[in-house]
Amino acid sequence: MRWIALLFPSLALDVFARALPPQHAAAPLVVHEEGRTPRVIAADAAAREAGVRDGMPLSAALALAPGATQQPRDVAAEEDALARLATFALAFTPAVSLADGAIVAEIRGSLRLFGGEAKLVAGLVDGVRERGFAPRVALAPTPLAALALARAGAEAAPDAPGGLARALAPLPLAAFDVEPATIATLEAAGVRTFGDAERLPRAGLARRFGRALVDTLDRAAGRVPDPREPFVPPPQFASRLELPACVHDVEALAFAVHRLVQELAAWLLARGLGVTALTLALAHERALVRHLGSPCTHARFALATPSRTPAHLTHVMRERLARLALPAPVAGLALATEAVAPLAGRNLGLLPGSEADAPEVPLLDRLRARLGEDAVRLVLPRADHRPERAMRAPLPEACASAWPSAPAGDAPRPLWLLARPQPLRGLTAAQPWVLREGPERIESGWWDGHDVRRDYFVAESPAGEVAWIYRDHRHGTDDGEWFLHGVFA
Amino acid sequence: MTPALAALLSHPAIWRGGDCAPEPAALSTGYAALDAVLPGGGWPGRALVEMQVAHEGIGELRLTLPAVARLTRDGRQVAWVAPPYRPYAPALAAAGVDLARLLLVRCRDAKEALWAFEQALRAPECGAAFAWLAESDERRLHRLAVAAREGRTLGVLWRRPGVTAQATAAPLRLALAAREGALEVRVLKRRGGEVAQPIRLDVAQRWSTLPPGAQPPAFGPRVPVRPVRPDPRTSAGHAQAQRSPRLRRAAN
Repeated sequence: MRWIALLFPSLALDVFARALPPQHAAAPLVVHEEGRTPRVIAADAAAREAGVRDGMPLSAALALAPGATQQPRDVAAEEDALARLATFALAFTPAVSLADGAIVAEIRGSLRLFGGEAKLVAGLVDGVRERGFAPRVALAPTPLAALALARAGAEAAPDAPGGLARALAPLPLAAFDVEPATIATLEAAGVRTFGDAERLPRAGLARRFGRALVDTLDRAAGRVPDPREPFVPPPQFASRLELPACVHDVEALAFAVHRLVQELAAWLLARGLGVTALTLALAHERALVRHLGSPCTHARFALATPSRTPAHLTHVMRERLARLALPAPVAGLALATEAVAPLAGRNLGLLPGSEADAPEVPLLDRLRARLGEDAVRLVLPRADHRPERAMRAPLPEACASAWPSAPAGDAPRPLWLLARPQPLRGLTAAQPWVLREGPERIESGWWDGHDVRRDYFVAESPAGEVAWIYRDHRHGTDDGEWFLHGVFA
Repeated sequence: MTPALAALLSHPAIWRGGDCAPEPAALSTGYAALDAVLPGGGWPGRALVEMQVAHEGIGELRLTLPAVARLTRDGRQVAWVAPPYRPYAPALAAAGVDLARLLLVRCRDAKEALWAFEQALRAPECGAAFAWLAESDERRLHRLAVAAREGRTLGVLWRRPGVTAQATAAPLRLALAAREGALEVRVLKRRGGEVAQPIRLDVAQRWSTLPPGAQPPAFGPRVPVRPVRPDPRTSAGHAQAQRSPRLRRAAN
């Protein structure tokens, strides 16, 4: 077994700071606890440079860093973020657990797939960093040892016999899940580190401090199993991102969207799904919301095929956002899935380089993202005798083959149909046209109010153009008007 | 020519003036006479083709339909960007086109159409892309030609004649006209020697099979005085001094 522990010491800060790209985070950021005298619990590098320290009253911090952005601690967002990170970790191993503000995951089973421990850990840590979180990482043969090493800020325990005991020996007992009262008693007796506690007689230790302490030591050292409750990704995806300051800039918004899309992609991967429809809600500043009536700007995205490729999703959303008119600055974003479909994994190629042709953004999604949802249509025949009703133009969602279609009659039909029949009167020429074929009587539709009674002809102009024209007999006489309805292109 | 000389001349490094450049991914047009003059024996599978059509309704689209039908039935997509009218589904289905693979792209302006055309040309899933554009900027056309080559897509750009004097970035340029009931194709440019004679193709449908010698009836809308049934057998001579209909591009 090889466990990795990811600890997030600056989680309270990261949940706010990560919504903005680094170059935008100019103002110092201070996160404080709410209460009668709010105290700083986290401050970013800029605030620390100004002298802000954890535990300082908020008023003192603001005196030191007058331009600082202050945010109350958002515990729900922190829990949420941790769950999302655990979802992301599921891309590397199926055995992921949450442990008191940290993530532990067993990686031995995945080492071969990812090409070794160094590569897997680098991939995991880079992914977490890319999501805007700063993890502290440690590896050990047991989850508790990995956690303790991460808490103590120590290096990874070597994966060799005896290595674990040597690595754990200097760690303070506080790094393990030991009760504070027990720690205080042991410290009074001069027992400070894990190594000190291990040297004590176990029977006496168990009698004096209870089974729990011995059990903790055993679990850390790997002498007894340490079962962990596996993390299960939520059945629905809905993620929100608070922006530390209101954003007018689409570029800064695109960055935040990218963050959300990464989370979505990780969730889809963990559940073996692809998304086909998404909603992005942009929450506006509270003060302006009241004036405009609507609290959010909603944008819906539909995809032609289920997808979970971040590049694909980001591309589609970026194109759309670029054209979105924002009525007010944006204070937060929320991304939720509307429709998902199972999406099987892709097999790796047998030969190197064959995975290079990874699917790009499909043409359909590119076009629809830029030109609008209904800019791309299919034309399919429909069983109706009236030419203008003999087809429909559905959105190309279902891409099943339409071939072979219903057998066509042998009457000539033009390739182009005019959107609306055009009176021939207005279309003039010096020479007469020639009727090539006809008449073909089409009389139908008396039941739905769009009845037609027409004689269709194929006619040729002096220039050689062949058109489909008809004479309208709707009003019962033989003296109807002539219309141009199609072109034999 | 002696066999030894013929063998020597067939060496791939030797290119003779009358030969066409090799076309690796040609698609048969479905018309043998046209295939014979196109490099590789068909539409270029990864290049831009410029079609100059003086009038609509002379069979210009029917010329390309066999290739479109085969591409769609092979599972490739075909995109039509900014067509001037609504493509009529029953006629397309009758021509053998798999309509689930034919994407119609509606654009609000020429800039969007140009963008959509380029995207379609670059898309790997797209076998062919047609666009009806009034574009005449040489650099943009060059960009489209590069997109077709890199995206391995047959691009067809429908244009009005009158741009013949301009140079074109498209490696194949055809002019289409109606002549005596047939479609006349002139090869204005190809990768190979010049084609002196225009090719005449019979793309017409059933109505052209009037019995030989039969006088086709003339047609013109009557001055609204007396109802007259335009019967093709009896209505010869209905030509009016009054204005006759003339095809024009409809506001779509």
